[in-house]
Amino acid sequence: MLQDATALLLANQNADGGWGAVPGNRSTTESTALALVALQTREQAALGPAIEKAKTWLIERQNADGSWPLADGLKGPSWSTAFAMLALSESMESTERVIRAGRWALAQEGSKIGLLAKLVLALRFQKRAVHLNEDLIGWSWTPNTFSWVEPTSYFLIALKKLKRQLPPKAFQERVPQGELMIYDRMCENGGWNYGNSSVYGERLWPYPDVTAVALIALQDHRERKENQMSLQALGEMAKNTGSGLALGWTSLCYELYGKDSAALKSLLERRFGKTKFLGETKAIALSILAMGNGVRYFRI
Amino acid sequence: MDRRDFLKVAAAVSLSPLLSACEQEVRWTKAAYIKPRRSQVAILAAKNYGKSLRDTILRGIQMCRVEVRGKRILLKPNLVEFDPKGVINTHPAVVEAAADSFKTLGAREVIVAEGPGHRRDNEYLLSASGLYDVLQEHHIRYVDLNSDNVRLTPLKSAFTRFNQLYLPDTLFNADLLVSMPKLKTHHWAGVTLSLKNMFGVVPGSVYGWPKNALHWAGIDGSILDINSSLPLPRFAIIDGVIGMEGNGPLQGQEKKSGVLLFGTDLVAVDATAARLMKIEPRKVKYLETAGEFLGNVAYEEIEQIGEKLERHAQDFRVIDEFSYLKKLLG
Repeated sequence: MLQDATALLLANQNADGGWGAVPGNRSTTESTALALVALQTREQAALGPAIEKAKTWLIERQNADGSWPLADGLKGPSWSTAFAMLALSESMESTERVIRAGRWALAQEGSKIGLLAKLVLALRFQKRAVHLNEDLIGWSWTPNTFSWVEPTSYFLIALKKLKRQLPPKAFQERVPQGELMIYDRMCENGGWNYGNSSVYGERLWPYPDVTAVALIALQDHRERKENQMSLQALGEMAKNTGSGLALGWTSLCYELYGKDSAALKSLLERRFGKTKFLGETKAIALSILAMGNGVRYFRI
Repeated sequence: MDRRDFLKVAAAVSLSPLLSACEQEVRWTKAAYIKPRRSQVAILAAKNYGKSLRDTILRGIQMCRVEVRGKRILLKPNLVEFDPKGVINTHPAVVEAAADSFKTLGAREVIVAEGPGHRRDNEYLLSASGLYDVLQEHHIRYVDLNSDNVRLTPLKSAFTRFNQLYLPDTLFNADLLVSMPKLKTHHWAGVTLSLKNMFGVVPGSVYGWPKNALHWAGIDGSILDINSSLPLPRFAIIDGVIGMEGNGPLQGQEKKSGVLLFGTDLVAVDATAARLMKIEPRKVKYLETAGEFLGNVAYEEIEQIGEKLERHAQDFRVIDEFSYLKKLLG
């Protein structure tokens, strides 16, 4: 499967060196970065030209402030900067770029609810609709909006990998708070969804892909009871997990937590045979990372 | 007067000049005004998701005299999330029957597209919901609107701070957008029907999961701005065979309603669907405003061309915060 998935990924590379979310789409930072990481872990000389083109795509798109845009044709910074940081993190010639991105990321934060909005919410809703600590700030999908679990996890992974090269004060101000934000959003029995554990007192359920990404971001706290609960919840979800995205992230998470991922890899292989992961670049790339030795990219 | 009452009065006093100023302002351009003099809505009985569904949907489309021959039809079901015990999404049998009907009527191509609001995992949502098998069996192309190529699109109304929104290219390459929501109540918006279903066309890659930027800008305003500015004609087919009441759109309880609704005026279709749920559409904030420029809300401006609304109307529970919606204006 590893060979087939790699061949599929190569076939889907755009002429500009990047990858779209699916074949034929405009190149995006997330897809290109994940595809680049996946190809780099294959360590095959024949992949060299594709890897170089992908690196060039990323390097040429970096914004002056250090961030990356979402895709070709879109201006401004985006959450997918975290993936570009990860993809270039082991490239010596990109060190300065990645540090610049890290500094930019440390300066970003999700918005807080303003006093007036808090007042209106308190007046409109007799009982609190959602239970979360809105004072804990992580990272948002889009500037000037609320913090959510996925972008916060992506940035935590990328920033923790760069810890020694980033300003310690800014790192200490942002990273632990991002971690607290993720813990605050955990579902009652462990695991995470996009970032709400309940609405109007009714519990919401966790997602395997988000849970795995959050656990990867929090791997340096593996002994905490929340991590262990969530790992258990992920194990339950894995029994019914049927997608390349979820299986890929879960498999990487299992390896990082020292759990046996053989059964997941077998499922991943079967799933690839059936759906080819709908042609989605991120799922194909993650499957290559999971089936090969991609876990080192996510080790903090 | 306790502290809470004091805060309520203080807020009401401080916000009232702002609110009255907003009321006087016309917030849409001439191009956004598409309200017809009268609208037709078809309610057709559909007791279950069995084989007869296809004939019912074919009949509904024909009754509304929608021209589909040679056109690329974009079906937009609601696939916001999946719960094996719940009834969150448009049933795949409805999507299948609609695709088949449009092809029978001569459509050049039928595409299914959605930008799920909570999850990035399309493969899971499609497989778990049963839609994947339908797409495979009928060779229907699926487009994830969350990660589609996007175009910056100027808005034709200004109910939010957005002046423009990124919208998926797929919308610009289709001839007819068919909004196919589930008949549901909604804990933030009151009801979620064919207009609210359009949140799914806004790309998550740009606006996030959930589409939080729209929530920050205001749900009601976002619904209006999106629907005023979509670049193609629309049609609605609402799956009310089994709906959802209470804490929708995810955690409510199923409500067997046994109906499908059809129409080209999405505001009129939603207003009729609200009445079917014994919810007053003129008290649903975004529907009331939509009735001023996007379509018809008033009962007398909507001609029922299928079965009688009163025959199928059922009392859908809403959460306490929306209890005022249950006081019908007649």
